[in-house]
Amino acid sequence: MKLANFIERFKLWIILGSLAFTVAIGVALKDAEVDSNLKNFIPKELPSRINSDRMEEIFGASDPVMILLKSDDVLNRETLLRIKRITKSLNRKDEVSKMASLFTSKDIKGIDGAMVVDPAVKRIPKTDEQKEVLRNTLKQNTFAYGMIVSENFKYTGIVVTPAKSIDDQQLTSVVESALEEFPGEEEVLYGGVPYIRKFIEQDINKDFGMLMPIALLIMLFFLYFSFREKRGVLLPFSVVILSIVIAMGLIPLIGWKVTMLSVLAPIMMIAIANNYGIHYIARYQELNAKHPNMSMSDIVKNTITHLKAPTLMAGLTTVVGILGLLSHIMKPARQLGVVAALGVVFALLLSMFFIPAFLFYLKKGKPIASFSEDKKSFLATVLNGIADFVVKAPKTILIVTAVLALVAGMGIFSIKVDSDSANMFPADHPVKISTNVINEEFGGSLNMNIMVEGDIKDPVIMKAMEQVELELDGFKGVGDVFSIATALKEMSKAINEPGDPFYNKIPDSREAIAQYLELYSMNGDPEDFEQMVDFDFTKAIVTIRVSDASQETTKAIVAKVEEIIKGFQFDNSVGGYLLMQYDLARFIVQGQTNSLIFAVLAIAIMIGIIFCSFWAAFIGSIPLLMADLLLFGTMGYAGIKLDTSTAMLSSIMIGIGVDYTIHFMHRYRHQLSSGNTAAEAVRITLNSTGRGIVLNAFSVMIGFCVLFISAFLSLKLFGFLIIFSILSCLLSAIIIIPALALVFKPKFFNKSNA
Amino acid sequence: MKKLLILTGLLLSVIGINAQSNLTARQIAEKAKDISEVDALEMVSTLTIIDAKGRERVRKTSSASKKFGQQTKTLMKFLAPADVKGTGMLIYDNEESNDDMWIYMPALRKTRRIVSSDKAKSFMGSEFSNSDMSVPSMNDFNYELGSNQMVDGEECYSVISTPINEDIADENGSAKRVVYITTDKFLTLKQEIYDLDEDLWKVMAYSGYYVIDTANDKYMAKKMEVKNVQNDRRSVMTMDKIQLGSSLKEEHFTTSYLEK
Repeated sequence: MKLANFIERFKLWIILGSLAFTVAIGVALKDAEVDSNLKNFIPKELPSRINSDRMEEIFGASDPVMILLKSDDVLNRETLLRIKRITKSLNRKDEVSKMASLFTSKDIKGIDGAMVVDPAVKRIPKTDEQKEVLRNTLKQNTFAYGMIVSENFKYTGIVVTPAKSIDDQQLTSVVESALEEFPGEEEVLYGGVPYIRKFIEQDINKDFGMLMPIALLIMLFFLYFSFREKRGVLLPFSVVILSIVIAMGLIPLIGWKVTMLSVLAPIMMIAIANNYGIHYIARYQELNAKHPNMSMSDIVKNTITHLKAPTLMAGLTTVVGILGLLSHIMKPARQLGVVAALGVVFALLLSMFFIPAFLFYLKKGKPIASFSEDKKSFLATVLNGIADFVVKAPKTILIVTAVLALVAGMGIFSIKVDSDSANMFPADHPVKISTNVINEEFGGSLNMNIMVEGDIKDPVIMKAMEQVELELDGFKGVGDVFSIATALKEMSKAINEPGDPFYNKIPDSREAIAQYLELYSMNGDPEDFEQMVDFDFTKAIVTIRVSDASQETTKAIVAKVEEIIKGFQFDNSVGGYLLMQYDLARFIVQGQTNSLIFAVLAIAIMIGIIFCSFWAAFIGSIPLLMADLLLFGTMGYAGIKLDTSTAMLSSIMIGIGVDYTIHFMHRYRHQLSSGNTAAEAVRITLNSTGRGIVLNAFSVMIGFCVLFISAFLSLKLFGFLIIFSILSCLLSAIIIIPALALVFKPKFFNKSNA
Repeated sequence: MKKLLILTGLLLSVIGINAQSNLTARQIAEKAKDISEVDALEMVSTLTIIDAKGRERVRKTSSASKKFGQQTKTLMKFLAPADVKGTGMLIYDNEESNDDMWIYMPALRKTRRIVSSDKAKSFMGSEFSNSDMSVPSMNDFNYELGSNQMVDGEECYSVISTPINEDIADENGSAKRVVYITTDKFLTLKQEIYDLDEDLWKVMAYSGYYVIDTANDKYMAKKMEVKNVQNDRRSVMTMDKIQLGSSLKEEHFTTSYLEK
């Protein structure tokens, strides 16, 4: 009674202290910033990230916007006029550093023995005949055909590179106002990293604005239908609100930014934070109904004493499970782990101190009907049925479980990994649509880059770059490959006649290469090759555009590239967004496995310590293993891929799902030590604590339900999968655990409560 | 009479008569052009292209220019760097039409014509554009006088030239130039070049003037420097050796001689 007396004595201080602490941390929320850059999901120490960052630094590439115009024929006069005006207008804007469109892309060609460098479209055709001439010219232009105009001439792109220190918002608004200034019939799609970031930021804000209120509202209804009493709604609910404020306030307080994964933090709080409070209310209502003569103070004290151990255990196991996220390679996942774990700790403390402290102030409420013998609630009927079933056929249950585990286990082998960030968005999302067009019509939206270092004008290096292009040409998933070697070959075609030994060839001497480039500098722009070779010709980049970023295709491309560069006798490095994503995916699997092993082991050890038994650890982890098998088996069979969000499933699920097992085992042991038989103990436990467990699990599932309306496809899937696995944890706890207890009768259940 | 007065008034305001010397802006520009124009010249020069990070590309050339009628012909040979040594260029600078250019590439033993209609294009990959390097057609621009300014301790006229129409502006890639010309000798010391949005784009500075032709009172700057203020790149052209006149004859300024 020590703890109960303490709480009764200091109830005012506990309530005021909790509120003051929340306000103190919540103040930091005003400084919260959103980080929508998906690149920050990729660890900085990843070799491909290091290489990519270095390439970006050397070639000064900032992420461009791609405007896609669609029309029946983009060579129509109106369409070309519109593109020309947009290009010209944007080119003059301070926010824009560089433009690429049909009017700026270069066409290197030979006319009557002269090399001519012209814009891809020099004059807008007036007649159909001129239009067809232009079409044929464009088909010959390596730098335009399939790069800036689609091969069916239905799409054309305008690429806008921002000036230094221009943010996404400024860039996109300049771009959009230019398109409004010059309206037309063409369908307009926006793509490119700034737009992806902008949409993600919008979606994060939308998710926070929509999901949170809806989730809270659903939670209010759920609590009301569960407890039909004002205190049963408001007390757990206030714990949820305070925990959300704490968890979210911690993000800016620690100095982190809000990411797509942070959306999960408040949803997790809504789902988890009331778990402990629910048991307090359920216990209070149970005592209130069954013992009309007990005083409120006694009821609350009994509740505190009875629940402190299982609540603490359930809470700590949840925290440990969530901390499994710390073994994750993605920083945002680790941050979520820290924030959510601290949020749960706070929710746990509030449930153990704040809720009873408040209850001490309240008078006894009316007893709730569902506890009286004659009026059985639906839930009570179901639990009774489960108890009957478990007591009658425990062996059958265990055999069915074993078969199910085996079948599900086999599904795990067909599980696939998805690292393509475009798949985070649903099929009708603007980002997804423009990405698809870029993949189908413009050679691919993702790049892999090979940077070579040395004397770039050396024919050995130049020919090596050409070799990359030749060997990857037509390789599955590869759209375009280009480098300064591509440009050099175009020059060789412009300068030399077909049949000439120099025609369409990288020359064999350094001098000839230097002289080609000198000739080009006489009539091209100095910036033309800036993205392919650096100023002093010591570093050059081969760009590989990839249109299929699936894990299997990427794996094959990466292997092929590695094979090619093995023969390079000069410094080289490989990078690019595609490679970073690919590496990330490999680490996601690793992170998933690590956090799974960590969480199961840690929780098993905790259960073992709580019940002072190795068998308790073993039996207690069976529901978790079962839920994991079912989860990953289902993902394997249903073809749901592991990605940045679903990779966090098992840590979160294990942390939450273990509670039901602990609550069950704790009460079951209590009943056995009170002299009940095993069968009686199962019935009593299911009919009493069972109610709290089921309500607890459903409140979690309902909390995560709101993820179905998230703007992110991967969060929707996450919502579905977490609900599915919580359900398996619940069923395992109330069916498999009693069946195991009945069949094996482990001794640790007979030890009395320490 | 009244009409005539108005007309004169208009004319005066348009050409902007200079109170001190009574020279119009255009006359000053023409004098500045004349002062550096010679009939024939041979020189060795170095063009250094410097990027924003301070990395350099150096091109050393020897050249000879000679005026034949309305056409100035230039023959140029690369001396350095080694990989382009021997590369030759032949340029026919036509006063009122596009220039003709040929380049000879010794590694390929081939001469190729370069089609250049765009005066805004870079000169040999530097920050100088072709229009910075050649003499502008006087009739393509309007001239206006700004207030006199001190440049490098010398009093200068500031002549503002603007293209007469948008096509010429586009062709030159510039909407305005302010040229600072010394009041005493009509030497150009500085040019400020504005882009098509009239934002400052490049600043060119001329230094090391000396008399190259005492008889005709002609001057030559030994150093030209341009700084692109928008991308922080610079290019410097120095005339290492200059000699008035050239022994070359018209037949030397041909593609067949270029290949020798």
